Amino acid sequence: MMQIALFGNPNIGKTSLFNQLTGSYEYVGNWSGVTVEEKIGLLKNKQAKLVDLPGTYSLNPLSRDERVVTEFLLRNHFTSIINIVDASQLQRNLHLTIELLEFGKPLMIGLNMIDVAKSRGIEINIQNLSNKLGVAIQPIIARTGKGCNQLLEKITYEEKLPQEPFRLDYGVIIETGIIKLVDLLYECPIELPSKRWLAIQFYSGNDTVKTYLERLLNHALLLELLAETEKELLETTGQTLQDAIFEKREQFIRTVLNDSIVITHEVRQSLTDKIDRFATNKYLGMPIFLTLLYFMFMITFNWIGSPLSDALDSFLSGPFTNWLENILNKFGTSAFLFNLILDGIVPGVGGVLVFVPQIFILFFFISVLEDSGYMARISLVMDRIMQSIGLNGKAFIPMVIGFGCNVPGIMSARTIEQPKERLITILLTPLMSCSARLPVYALFAGVFFGKNQALVVLSLYTMGVVLALVLAKLFSKTMLKSEASVFVIELPPYRVPHLGTLAKSTWDKGKGFIKKAGTFIFGGTVVIWLLSVVGRSGFNVTMDDSLLAELGGFLAPVFAPLGFGSWQAAVALLTGFLAKESVVSTLNIVYHTSSTAFLQGVVADSYTPLSAYSFLVFILLYIPCLATVATIKKETGSMKWTIFSMVYPFIIAYVISFIIFQGGNLLGL
Amino acid sequence: MVLSDLKQGEKATIKDLSSLNQLVKTRLMNLGIYLGSEVNVKTKMPLGGPCVVECNGQRIGIRLHEANSIRVEKK
Repeated sequence: MMQIALFGNPNIGKTSLFNQLTGSYEYVGNWSGVTVEEKIGLLKNKQAKLVDLPGTYSLNPLSRDERVVTEFLLRNHFTSIINIVDASQLQRNLHLTIELLEFGKPLMIGLNMIDVAKSRGIEINIQNLSNKLGVAIQPIIARTGKGCNQLLEKITYEEKLPQEPFRLDYGVIIETGIIKLVDLLYECPIELPSKRWLAIQFYSGNDTVKTYLERLLNHALLLELLAETEKELLETTGQTLQDAIFEKREQFIRTVLNDSIVITHEVRQSLTDKIDRFATNKYLGMPIFLTLLYFMFMITFNWIGSPLSDALDSFLSGPFTNWLENILNKFGTSAFLFNLILDGIVPGVGGVLVFVPQIFILFFFISVLEDSGYMARISLVMDRIMQSIGLNGKAFIPMVIGFGCNVPGIMSARTIEQPKERLITILLTPLMSCSARLPVYALFAGVFFGKNQALVVLSLYTMGVVLALVLAKLFSKTMLKSEASVFVIELPPYRVPHLGTLAKSTWDKGKGFIKKAGTFIFGGTVVIWLLSVVGRSGFNVTMDDSLLAELGGFLAPVFAPLGFGSWQAAVALLTGFLAKESVVSTLNIVYHTSSTAFLQGVVADSYTPLSAYSFLVFILLYIPCLATVATIKKETGSMKWTIFSMVYPFIIAYVISFIIFQGGNLLGL
Repeated sequence: MVLSDLKQGEKATIKDLSSLNQLVKTRLMNLGIYLGSEVNVKTKMPLGGPCVVECNGQRIGIRLHEANSIRVEKK
């Protein structure tokens, strides 16, 4: 099957176009780096596969995100390219187009946001632009889908896209260098369409291409070629290779645009300008962000989320359980199955599902932040603080997303250019209190802290953030002090989030939680329940003689100095590694309770406020969940750092919980 | 003068980027900020925080330190 790849700058509607062309429910966001891995969809007409790549300004990669794109070009087989181009930012967008044209595969341009361009007073003569570049251009509006069907038709059915070989002359010195390198490459087994492209990328300083070439050619020879060409260029023109290549392209684009665009009128102040006068205001920027964050959490946890969760809980433990009991009785279910379902699965899985409303509300807000364009402003506003701990404002975004779930948070760290800053961000994101930890807080805070519930939960969130900041400082000063921190960020225009898109992205983020409840948590509760009824003496033993109690009892002494040395707590912590929310499921089973209200009663007898708080702090910090650990392994590619990411939180959790519990005892709390 | 000397709302033309950190320079070039580009300082965050410059209808945030290494000519 034909495979078409989709390239384009970040924030210009690439993922929207992908959704329009494939009709699939891909996730769209309005800040760089939402497309974290290439995604593949089937075109609506089922004629070809479409690969969605991360947004990139250039094929010379600066971040891990962009490297994915260049490596895709070097290693993957595909038939043709769709290059989405922002009509309102042609000058900048066409740099990428030139690089793609030089690559030599059939290419078609989807000229997006022609409506935005028009409103900014830019009139584009598409025929002229198409002639000058030698490619087919289809004007589209990716958000509404206008023109997308024509694009689809053209890319799949026009056998040979009308395209002449593209060639931009870079001047005698660079051209000589290109010819020398291309000659050397003739003896190499390269399947790429253009050796010239490799040479140009090499001279413009593309490290990924350089690494690729080093496996084919002698390292010293390559360096010599580069040094020779750079030296000659500097002596003759005073320019570096990067500048010279950039300028040639810039000149070419300018002549192309001279003939194909007309500025009809000057723009007035845009809506984005008006909003940014407040959102990125010198003095108001930070207070506005903090206020938004406050409302976001209040709505999620207090105003809307909690009442919904409570209603769901009383439904599940009341009418639903009664109904299920009747059904099971009617069918004469065996006592074993009856108990497994009513004492194991219902409280276990139900105890977690109860939090679905809160988690979806939180994910909804995170989607709004992403889709509206405000996320990039958060980076800007937070940069000064992040700078003081050796990171940059972009590192704050994985942390905000981490409040929803650590896994996408860690993946979004890919937009951070400096490897050191990216690694530190990955290591610290798990300290952000993800939504799966919330059920545990809600349970304990509800029992012990009554009116101060929200305050206690807030203190945990804050503790996670503060620890992350302190540790970032520590890590960047000690283990990882090599590169200087840098920060450049594009602030995309604001747009009103599209309700359909929000619904999709909220669902895409939240469905994992429901899926986990049906798989991990379901399986886990069955195992835990079985272990709780089987003992050395056989089946149907009392809970305290069960294998589970024995296992927990073995581990419990470790946690005794922290105030929660019961076997139940130890078992809950063990299952919490699989998924944090399963701590609640496990407690539901080991205390043989069927409703949250009941569990609260038992918990009230087994903990004191002090030991409960110590337990919550421990839950917050002790270890990233299994899925997060797997993501850290994948993203860092290092076993060493993965193990580190599991060990250091445990030590910190132990020390802090110890201080809280023992210190509190000394103070007589 | 350098970019960071500009006050909020002032416009200038970029004259020299050569003393800039290479990564930042490349990224600014990606975004279309190059010699001769016209920039407009939109905001300067407090306590030596980053500043926002506008260029060709797009907004870009950079640090004060970097803005110190960009030579400009006021319009």
